[in-house]
Amino acid sequence: MKKLKANNLRAIVILGVVLVIAVGYFNLVGIGNLSDFGWGLISTICPLGFVETLLASKLLIPRAVISFFAVVAIVIVLGRVFCAWVCPVPLLQRWFPGSRKQQEKRIAEALPDAEALPAATEALPDAEALPAVDLLDEPSGDLPVQAALMPAETKLKLKSAAKPKLKGAAKPNNFKLDSRHVVLGGALLSTAIFGFPVFCLVCPVGLTFASVLFLMRLFAFGETTWTILVFPLVLVLELVFFRKWCKTICPLGALMSLISGLNKTFRPSIDNSRCIKTAQGVNCSACSAVCAENIDIRNPKTSQSSLNNCTKCRNCSDICPAHAISFPFLKGKQKTED
Amino acid sequence: MGAAEESSALSRRSFAFAAGGAAVMLGLGTLKFVPTRPICRPPGGQDEDSFLGACLRCERCREICPQNVIVPAHLEQGILNVRTPTMNFKEGWCDFCEEANAGIPLCEGVCPTKALRLVPDFKPEEVVIGKAVINRNWCLGWLLKGCKKCFEVCPYEAIEMEQLEGLGNYNNSDYQRPHVIEDKCNGCGLCENRCPSMMNSSLTEGATDRAITVHAVTIQGD
Ligand code: SF4
Ligand code: SF4
Ligand code: SF4
Ligand code: SF4
Ligand code: SF4
Repeated sequence: MKKLKANNLRAIVILGVVLVIAVGYFNLVGIGNLSDFGWGLISTICPLGFVETLLASKLLIPRAVISFFAVVAIVIVLGRVFCAWVCPVPLLQRWFPGSRKQQEKRIAEALPDAEALPAATEALPDAEALPAVDLLDEPSGDLPVQAALMPAETKLKLKSAAKPKLKGAAKPNNFKLDSRHVVLGGALLSTAIFGFPVFCLVCPVGLTFASVLFLMRLFAFGETTWTILVFPLVLVLELVFFRKWCKTICPLGALMSLISGLNKTFRPSIDNSRCIKTAQGVNCSACSAVCAENIDIRNPKTSQSSLNNCTKCRNCSDICPAHAISFPFLKGKQKTED
Repeated sequence: MGAAEESSALSRRSFAFAAGGAAVMLGLGTLKFVPTRPICRPPGGQDEDSFLGACLRCERCREICPQNVIVPAHLEQGILNVRTPTMNFKEGWCDFCEEANAGIPLCEGVCPTKALRLVPDFKPEEVVIGKAVINRNWCLGWLLKGCKKCFEVCPYEAIEMEQLEGLGNYNNSDYQRPHVIEDKCNGCGLCENRCPSMMNSSLTEGATDRAITVHAVTIQGD
């Protein structure tokens, strides 16, 4: 089976983040964890934590606002990159027994037969010769949250571009309400009512880092607390009961996918002339089978999940037997990476 | 789950996740009403309601404290408090960063959401982290063993020694016992930090904690 190169690289990056934060726990610099990570006054803030504390405390803290917009800027440039390259949750899930086998099976079924493949890839044109087609020509949908976050000129562009949609053409798949958005709404409502960041109590990212912290304190200071047992247990239960936590529950992912509607850079771009399914009709659907977010990047318009959910994990481009998928900085300017 | 059915609205399955998830979120909110004993917060975190509303549990205050007095609260101290900063005066005490940062609290400065918030020219005497309380059964002074450590170390002169009438002379600490002057104590924790009642040889029988401990006094609301 094809190796997913980025898979291992991502694991290294995520473990590196955990390591840096764990070392930070025990010195006097105060870099914090993913809730707020930084040096002195410069930091990134968990966007969900920011909105929650804003609702709960009803206080607009300029520094927190700046940190929040830094995160918004990152999401605009890199999309939901946090979910593939920083968040420990998908990595933990990958370590669950059986999950890797399942994925491998799914991919094996989606790849073309061993006989069909060589013939199809041989017929491929030169990688450099053809321009890439962007998957999503339409701009982002007219979501209120997105609109509020957008500069005025983008809004104007959106307005004019949104018109053809009304003429009954295929609706661009930019935003889809799913259960995560409702959970997000519930978390924010509850936070506003009860006055404390409610989701933080059960956030698997927070639980992971808390477990690391309390475990380290157990060994360093002999500090015993039920937290050391309860937190990892809750974490494991969440991830076992909700194998699809990221796709169905996570309000943090949902919030970021609302912002990533503005993301135009480094989007997966499929070269239709290279794709052996589109160009030659070979029976292949490896890219959508490998996508943890259920995005069918060949057909973004009818895909179950919107391209906003792309976490730039690069699994699709790794798995594609025809090397038809790349992540160019902007559409048109295709750069062959790797 | 047909693609067509999925494409318009929420499918039945994801509706279940949505409704369930949102309900759990609202349910979790009610944990606020689980009664918990107040715990000591770093300077500026004394208004418990607004503190809990703003604290992200980012741990930056704890990491930066030069006196290592801030520790993460445990589950035993309340579900809502887990991982929020609290004070452990066995580990250290709060000098308001006098030594490390010329009296400008580093924890308050690093807090991103201002869960810890002090007025610009606050006076340490007015920031009440807690109040020291003496356990008269455990205190070596009260057991007439001549200890007056807390009296000696208190930076705010919040401890006074009571001379026992008819016993010894004024300078003989064997016949004195300490009292906390509540109005002067701001809960800095130095007395608890230095109190010898639980240390090696001087352990008082039956004691489970130091003889002088700082207890939180929280303000609710603004
Ligand atoms: S969706 Fe949530 S849990 Fe999943 S990777 Fe993103 S932030 Fe982490
Ligand atoms: S003021 Fe300084 S010494 Fe006191 S708790 Fe904060 S960081 Fe620690
Ligand atoms: S720095 Fe502020 S937000 Fe972070 S843990 Fe401390 S009190 Fe909470
Ligand atoms: S906590 Fe102890 S040392 Fe600090 S002001 Fe109160 S009595 Fe004095
Ligand atoms: S330091 Fe402790 S034992 Fe000594 S007098 Fe004060 S409270 Fe009592």
